[in-house]
Amino acid sequence: MTETDLVIRNVQGLHVRAAGLFVRVAGKFKSEIFVSRDDREVNGKSILGVIDLAAEAGSTIRVRAMGPDEEAAVAALRELVDGKFGEEP
Amino acid sequence: MKFTGIPASPGIGAGPIVRYETEELKVRDIRIPPAGVAREIERFHAALDAARKDLSRIRDGIAAELGKHEAEIYDAHLLILDDPELKRAVEHGIRDEGRNAAFVFRAHMSGVAARLEQVNDEYLRERRADVLDVERRVLRYLLGDGPRAAVALERPAVLVAHELSPSDAALLDRSKVLGFVTEVGSRGSHAAIVARGRGIPAVVSVRGLMQRVKAGDTGVVDGFAGEFELNPDAERRAFFDARRDALADEERTLAGIHDQPAATLDGRRIELAANIELPAEAEQVLAAGADGVGLFRTEFFYLGRPELPSEEEQYAAYRGVAERLAPRPVIFRTMDLGGDKVASYLGMTHETNPFLGWRGIRFALHHPDLFSTQLRAIYRASAHGRVRLMFPMISSLDELQRANGLCGAVARELKRTRVPFDPELEIGIMIETPSAVWMAEELARHARFLSIGTNDLTQYTLAMDRDNERLAHLYEPLDPAVLRSIRHTVAAAHGAGRWVGVCGEMAGEPANAVLLLGMGVDELSMASYDLPRVKAAIRSVRAGAAEAVAREALLQSSAEDVKAVLHRALDPVLPGFLSARRVGA
Repeated sequence: MTETDLVIRNVQGLHVRAAGLFVRVAGKFKSEIFVSRDDREVNGKSILGVIDLAAEAGSTIRVRAMGPDEEAAVAALRELVDGKFGEEP
Repeated sequence: MKFTGIPASPGIGAGPIVRYETEELKVRDIRIPPAGVAREIERFHAALDAARKDLSRIRDGIAAELGKHEAEIYDAHLLILDDPELKRAVEHGIRDEGRNAAFVFRAHMSGVAARLEQVNDEYLRERRADVLDVERRVLRYLLGDGPRAAVALERPAVLVAHELSPSDAALLDRSKVLGFVTEVGSRGSHAAIVARGRGIPAVVSVRGLMQRVKAGDTGVVDGFAGEFELNPDAERRAFFDARRDALADEERTLAGIHDQPAATLDGRRIELAANIELPAEAEQVLAAGADGVGLFRTEFFYLGRPELPSEEEQYAAYRGVAERLAPRPVIFRTMDLGGDKVASYLGMTHETNPFLGWRGIRFALHHPDLFSTQLRAIYRASAHGRVRLMFPMISSLDELQRANGLCGAVARELKRTRVPFDPELEIGIMIETPSAVWMAEELARHARFLSIGTNDLTQYTLAMDRDNERLAHLYEPLDPAVLRSIRHTVAAAHGAGRWVGVCGEMAGEPANAVLLLGMGVDELSMASYDLPRVKAAIRSVRAGAAEAVAREALLQSSAEDVKAVLHRALDPVLPGFLSARRVGA
């Protein structure tokens, strides 16, 4: 299992468009991916689940991946989140 | 009665009011016998499929009209339809609890929406609307109603709503909707984005609006001021009518000069180009009547993604823009990463002083492979249009020579392998640092053109961080120190027989554009939105008058004095709508 904590840095937080990008990246991997915030954990490939976390700007989410490409999956999601979903120049 | 909200889309719209009610869909709780389970699950999937077809069509329409970025919200809606947890929950509800699809589907969606409503963050709370929008779209199919018809207006009207969903927004018809006002929403709401794209005046975030508005009322939407006036009296009507007429006059004037050159009354021509970031924006450039693209920012290829863009991906995008704009020129600015644009997969880290750090050409030269990949893509695109390229953040001659060296190697390799490109491709540089200003004579000998990036040049010349709130009022491209830097650069470029442009935000302000013309600048590049107004300003002055304004401006010792000179000299000459617009804007 690979896991990491990520801080949401874009002003709008993990809103619908960002959540869409998140699950699209997650969906590229074979591994099972879970995202949690506080004590709630959701399927990282479910956009409703990710939206439901309501992770606003400044909050921390934990990404957990299990499977053959778990490290690459976590790295790709880290890139997306750290890059503020490509939103802010 | 006047209401104040947030200006979401410019323009004035006045007329009878139509209340746009959020529809209520009645869902009954029905038992599904075991024998009916398979059919009910099938019905659920059929509804998802139908909704998917609708959304794909809307998505493609918006992508063609406003660009791929604006269409992404519909991509997100499509992803909701494909959500694995949603499917599992609904199928479980039907199969194991014997409930009907509509009931379990609504329960799942409403649960998410209800939790979002509790969130403190305003951005996220608004996203509840997206969940409900998808919920209604699918429910209409489950209940046998089909898609909701376009906002049905018998005659043109001002639309008043609690909220307009992305689905509603896509159906807004400019010939019917004179303007709209909503109780919630922000400038970034999808309805606001669509309104701006279609030229529909809009004001959002007007609290308590629906309680006050009834059928038979009239209203005026002032999308510049962000105000909505309900049942205005005769005097206020006359005021809005006059403003609307001035705007219509502006629109006619701007439409009339769309295909006219940007030339002064006495025929001095200046090239007006547009700044873009995404390939889809090429359409807006053409709609604005631009002479080309003066700044294509290529960073978006590198940011917000997990891996490097390939040469092919870049080539396809660059070629598309070059072809669309041909025979007009397109200037590609090579990767300007670093500063506030960080891609950590490239080994970039957050620096303590990023704007003075590893950015722009410094970063590119440190990664010759990465940089050459981009150069190859640009060179290859040059076979399909009129392509120019320029390097950002040059601060020494050595950097320019090394970058030129990489271009030479790319060109030789393409020639050797018989890949077509334009051998006359012009290579220029951006002038953004004080060192580049003072070395402009030498730099101009090794570049075919200079393009002054006034945003960074102002920041570096004044040593003011423009993102610092306490300094924002001092960050001023009209500061004499910046103007004198521009003067020096223009003289150096012309002395070497090169042309010189300005591609900062400054170029998009009509009076400043006239000043820059007077200073001898050959090309101005700005947001497409600003371009028609700048053209109107250029076409209303004489070159000699612009030069006189520039001479006087350069004698001043503060930005305030420069502004006073511009007002005194240009307010009487420029079209009235250029100053009228500022009133509420």
